[in-house]
Amino acid sequence: MIRNPRNAFRQVIRDPLLLVTLAVLWVLLILFILFPIVRLFLQTFEEEGRFTLANVLKILGDPNQRQALWNSLILATLVGLWGTALGFLFAFTAVRTNLSRGWGFFLDASIILPLISPPFTTAIAIIFSFGPRGLITYELLGIKNVGVYGLTSTLFSETLTFFPIAYLTLKAILAGIDPNVEDMAFSLGSSRWRVFRTVTLPLTVPGLANSFLLLFAASLADFATPLILAGNSFPVLPTQAYLQITGLFDLKGGAVLSFVLLVPAFIVFLLQRLWVSRKYYVTISGKVGAQTRIKSVVPWARVLLLALCLFISAFILYFYALLFYASIVRAFGANYQVTWNHYHVVFTEGLKAIRDTLIIAGAGMPLGGIYAIVLGYLVAKKVFPSRQTMEVVSMINYSLPGTIVGIAYLLAFNDPPIMLTGTAIIIIACYVFRYGPTGIRTTVAILQQIDPSIEEASFSLGAKSGTTFRRITVPLILPAFFAGLGVVFIRSMTAISATIFLISINWTLITVRILEKMTELELGVAAAFSILVVIIVFIVIGAISLFLRLFRQPGAPDMANILGG
Amino acid sequence: MEAVSICLDRISKKFSHRVKGEVSAVSEVSLQVQPGEFLTLLGPSGCGKTTTLRMVAGFERPDIGRIYIGEEDVTDKMANQRNIGFVFQNYALFPHLSVFENVAYGLRVKGMGDAQIEKAVTEVLALAGLKGYERQFPHQLSGGEQQRVALARAVIIQPRVLLFDEPLSNLDAKLRLHMRSEIRRLQKALSITAIYVTHDQEEAMAISDHIAVMNEGKIIQIGTAEELYLQPNSPFVARFIGKINPLPAAVKETGPGQVTLELFRQLFPVPGVGDKFQPGQKVWAFIRPESVELSSRVEEGYFQGIVRERTFLGEKVDYVLEVDGHELSVTSYDPLRHGTFPIGQKVGVRLDPRLLKILQGEG
Repeated sequence: MIRNPRNAFRQVIRDPLLLVTLAVLWVLLILFILFPIVRLFLQTFEEEGRFTLANVLKILGDPNQRQALWNSLILATLVGLWGTALGFLFAFTAVRTNLSRGWGFFLDASIILPLISPPFTTAIAIIFSFGPRGLITYELLGIKNVGVYGLTSTLFSETLTFFPIAYLTLKAILAGIDPNVEDMAFSLGSSRWRVFRTVTLPLTVPGLANSFLLLFAASLADFATPLILAGNSFPVLPTQAYLQITGLFDLKGGAVLSFVLLVPAFIVFLLQRLWVSRKYYVTISGKVGAQTRIKSVVPWARVLLLALCLFISAFILYFYALLFYASIVRAFGANYQVTWNHYHVVFTEGLKAIRDTLIIAGAGMPLGGIYAIVLGYLVAKKVFPSRQTMEVVSMINYSLPGTIVGIAYLLAFNDPPIMLTGTAIIIIACYVFRYGPTGIRTTVAILQQIDPSIEEASFSLGAKSGTTFRRITVPLILPAFFAGLGVVFIRSMTAISATIFLISINWTLITVRILEKMTELELGVAAAFSILVVIIVFIVIGAISLFLRLFRQPGAPDMANILGG
Repeated sequence: MEAVSICLDRISKKFSHRVKGEVSAVSEVSLQVQPGEFLTLLGPSGCGKTTTLRMVAGFERPDIGRIYIGEEDVTDKMANQRNIGFVFQNYALFPHLSVFENVAYGLRVKGMGDAQIEKAVTEVLALAGLKGYERQFPHQLSGGEQQRVALARAVIIQPRVLLFDEPLSNLDAKLRLHMRSEIRRLQKALSITAIYVTHDQEEAMAISDHIAVMNEGKIIQIGTAEELYLQPNSPFVARFIGKINPLPAAVKETGPGQVTLELFRQLFPVPGVGDKFQPGQKVWAFIRPESVELSSRVEEGYFQGIVRERTFLGEKVDYVLEVDGHELSVTSYDPLRHGTFPIGQKVGVRLDPRLLKILQGEG
């Protein structure tokens, strides 16, 4: 049942705290989400006060840019397919082959690495492995002058980086299929292969589609990997937009390019919301079925699946080991003498970037957490005009490719009335509004599990809405708060696609320093920076997981699942 | 504290439903609850009883109509300004607070001092039989214990009225019987005016001073359990309270204060019905299963029936008879003394005319 809109309005009027909070939130949402997007639209479609398609047509008329669009779509499709296949392999092995806890933990642990790493990590490792002086191509196989740059390596790197998203999506779905349903099919005389084909796989199809779309969007938005690995022969849209702005100082061209990127991103977003999310099969039948042993695969298939997964896990671990190795030798590929020089550079010359990043992440963390629980609480629990609009608007920056958000911020806050370029605020705001939505979703999910009568109980005992929020609701959604904090912190440490447009002499970021070191071919220092980020992120995740365990309410999502969203 | 009355003056509430559009949950409900009285709102699910209760609590606001607690018009007051105690169906304990802190919550909100809170909580916990549970958390308690905490938490703030929303529906049958007498005992001891919502007619009859039977957003009848059982004003109440046989009949003759019905193709005089019926009118005659007497012979004024089903339940036997092509449920008590009838046996059926209720409509 929905309450009367008339009553909803009256409710707001009667609750001044709610009214003020709503007003503040809307000002922030308009300023940091809608205003930049509007500026991007104006930049793209407005010429001397009139609407024009000329800018877009000019870009689409340029064969190079058309190629970039085309390349972006091909790359995203391939990453979507390969990543989903890999994710399904891991998810199926994890939940449908009776893995022991130890193996399950190992798979989870190796998969979480790409999720929390700075964006270049696999790209750097691929160059170290398969580059002209790569460990595998040159040292092992003796191939000289190998061309590592292009579609293949970009695809390989993005697939490894993003398939954990598919894994988390599909694992939840496969785990949700009641083994009794499969037992039923067995009892009707089906073979294992037939059960897989006719029961398990069809039930997973919506999840596969969802996973494909998630990966498609992630690849479409990815800026860092193609910048390192795609090379000149394989331009894609996000890097083109970046080069247009930083190389040619053509803000308008960059804006138009990023707008072109917006179109497929938006289509994917719509498909995901309207089509896939409605097609989930519910196999939860109310009553919990009898516990049954999963019998999906024969023993030899189980060994084969596990072996495949371990091979890929080993590959990921090898990449990280390689990265570490590269950070402690003088010059990878030429001089393997052990040295701490790169770390010395990191902690002297790179100290400012580390400090800036930690300040920005440290400031963004509590702000993002508060933003997430306040907005999540209002959307989930309060009835007020513009509620749905608020939810949709809050998700915009999260759904858009980072390049678009970065360029939109650049356009919006470069001139008066609101000049934020060069400040830390612009970077912090970008992170809060881009990564806060994960916390919002977690908050909403947790709140939906809390019975509304618990708050009514508090009201009936004489508590005002502020007291109720502070003493009842906040303690209950504390896990969401910590999860929100964690995501904003981790992304602040590892993201680059939006904020590369927002850094300045005053404020820079570790990820940007990594990129600079890569282009200056100081790969050892880049590797050392990456290792540092991985370590910091690990420590923070550990601390937050500890907090989550202390405050966890039944049914609250895991940290790993939050990262996947 | 002096007990107060509760008065609902023609309150109505509509909800907008995404499929059905505007749905009237409560329409023009008026109700007067005397100080210290225990009143139950009884009705099937969706009849508006919970919505009515939630409007008294202040969780919902009526679209029209006024609500008074004592002399005060509380219609525009929020729940936290009404000084009410509310006991929820699922108890709604604060999962992150101990039993002590759950009960203390209302006092802490008022800003009472620690020493006073300690004293008051200890007292109320003792009253609720929860001594020794102070440090436990809600998830460590059984359903009955959670219910006691919810009750203790509601009464500690010395509310003017106590409101119960199906508080026993999550307990098993035995505990339900026990808790309902606990609730009644506590309400009497504190002499607080109470409104209680349930769909269980037996519970309502056991616990209440008065029962208001609701259906489709309206109050159909208010009365004591006996009044509702013996003098239902409508087929709905007749059928909702206890079991009853609706029998199709027609009015043949009317005399002063009595009618003669045609029932099962026999003439059947019924006294004491007033003069609201006209000859020729189609009516329904309602009779409770236990108001029907069976005998092995068919005597003058008896109907003839055949036993079709028979369920032996120890202290009673439930029969389904066929009488003139109609089904008739009969309950016969103390079968060990009176004997029973086997399936297929022809029996004499005597209906006590004083226990027969004539109403229009089948309900």
